[in-house]
Amino acid sequence: MRSRGRKGAVVAEMAVPRLTRLLGIVTHLEEHGEATFDELARHFGVATETIKRDIDTLWCSGLPGYGMTDLLDFDGFAYDEGIARLTNSQGVRQVRLAPAEAMALMGALAAMIASGTAPEAATGALAALSAAVTDANPVTVIGAAPVTPGVAEALRAGIERKRAVALTYVDAQDRRTSRVIEPHRLVTVDGLGYVECFCRRAGDYRTLRLDRIEAAGETDDAATALPRAASGFTLEPAYNAKVRVARAGRWAFEDLPGAVLTVDGDDVVATFGVANPDVVVARLLAVAPFLASVEPASLRERLGGAAMAVLGAQ
Amino acid sequence: MPASDAAERLLNLIIALSHARGRMTRAEIRATVSGYDPERGGDTADEARRRTAAFERMFERDKEDLRRIGIPLRTVVDATHGDDIGYVIDAGEASMPPIDMTPVERAILAVAAEYWQNAALGTDARRAFVKISSSMPRAEEVPLHLAARSTEGSDAAPTLAQAIADGQAVAFTYTSAASGRGERVVEPWRLVVRGGRLYLLGQDRDRGEARTYRLSRIEGVIRPVGERGTFEAPDEVEVLALEDEVPTLIARIGLRAESGHALRRRASFVSTAGEWDVFDVPFSDTEALRDEVLSLAGAARVLEPEGLAAAVRAHAEAALAVAGAEGGGRG
Repeated sequence: MRSRGRKGAVVAEMAVPRLTRLLGIVTHLEEHGEATFDELARHFGVATETIKRDIDTLWCSGLPGYGMTDLLDFDGFAYDEGIARLTNSQGVRQVRLAPAEAMALMGALAAMIASGTAPEAATGALAALSAAVTDANPVTVIGAAPVTPGVAEALRAGIERKRAVALTYVDAQDRRTSRVIEPHRLVTVDGLGYVECFCRRAGDYRTLRLDRIEAAGETDDAATALPRAASGFTLEPAYNAKVRVARAGRWAFEDLPGAVLTVDGDDVVATFGVANPDVVVARLLAVAPFLASVEPASLRERLGGAAMAVLGAQ
Repeated sequence: MPASDAAERLLNLIIALSHARGRMTRAEIRATVSGYDPERGGDTADEARRRTAAFERMFERDKEDLRRIGIPLRTVVDATHGDDIGYVIDAGEASMPPIDMTPVERAILAVAAEYWQNAALGTDARRAFVKISSSMPRAEEVPLHLAARSTEGSDAAPTLAQAIADGQAVAFTYTSAASGRGERVVEPWRLVVRGGRLYLLGQDRDRGEARTYRLSRIEGVIRPVGERGTFEAPDEVEVLALEDEVPTLIARIGLRAESGHALRRRASFVSTAGEWDVFDVPFSDTEALRDEVLSLAGAARVLEPEGLAAAVRAHAEAALAVAGAEGGGRG
């Protein structure tokens, strides 16, 4: 998804992720029968247009010779109705997990389990993954901070039933406090587990470390504070941003998911989806002296607000 | 050729090699598989050489892409055709085994697939999730109230995972607190994740003993050394003491209540001053600490050293200039 060198060169979706989806669509249709383009789009997390293009590609792929009977085939009438009905798969199947793929997904899942945020079912998911991997699992995850048994369960129950939870919490200065919180979400950040909540004692939103909670018990008290819209991070990009930055600041945008970088003279123009504005604003602050422009205005405002807050504190 | 056609060409290559009777040579692949540029009768010798070289480069890249998604091409040398190498895919060996997973388990995997912010690890995790999803039934989304994110990642991790599976040694430039910057040749055994940090555990060939390496301190490209399958990782590996940065400097930093957890974790508490909890934070990388303070957006203030405080102010002022002006901040 990146381009290098030539001005204005934008590279289309990379071949490997697309190939993986093409194989996946055929396997899915083989196992579960026909599906609408919309259903496939939801299942594979892409746009309906992308699925349509994928079906078009599959339809003209097949065995050397590429005659009528050599190609993957779909029902043309169903296609016109927006339905993918596979009539000949030419034996195409999804391929097993490559070592790096298994490592990345199992490592992430194991890190969530070790951090104490993942529900019971995560252990089953990890076992099912391990069973699907033929190579030895190449990753070991070491828990960074053990969580008291029962704490995560009480918080999860509170979140699901929208009830307040009473905690005994030890802060970084070893001060033990009792507090009542309204839990909203469990999050794993860099291998540590946290609960995003409204803390009634502080009268404000807080993110508390799970390993510092000594005890947690559900109450019958209904939660009243709504989850903060901006709390933590949502994983769906909310809007696209466009940033012009001198080459020295390029690194800050290279690894943002879905970022497209184009070189323009001494500058780099980065466009990317903003899922979590806080992460993006932190990156922008880190390369602030190299920034030429930031769009849209809403992101500029957040950047300005954060910069003011930094100067205020400093 | 646009990148979207590469997926199509790879798909056709997979189908051709899965169905090949015996094997296909490079010449056969080039002549018959859709997407490759076949030899043409009217070419001059120069043109023909140029086209052949372009095909060879493309085919090597395609082989690498197939390996990356878990389809190794098997080479078959046919005795009756001299040393002419042919290729084949064992469709049974390559295909995804059936996977039994509930909708809740899949929903948790979807959260895990978004964990790594690092581009290399992130794309690998998302691809693994697409593969797992392929054979699963479509289902309503399960709301989980769960999220995960890791800011530390390394482009080296996927390369090392492949090298571990291949049993192939690797060479890289590494900076350690104990012995400085140098070249290491390592038989990679396992990757270790602790907190947000990634480590490699393996046998250091020059030192003749097991060592751990923090991935963020590997510089540049990891190069494969020697043949594949030259060693096997021990079944039970004792995870050694994980080597960390040795911080040499101390910054005094104020943090607002219940914020800056990552900083608090590695700092020692000094005092409480008004609404600020004051900590001494050991550090070795001024720029990294500056960026961490900036990312806390006013929940942290640098008390000492003044150089760090000035850097934080300078970045905030530059950001304010860009945020306030439609056009530009530089200049």
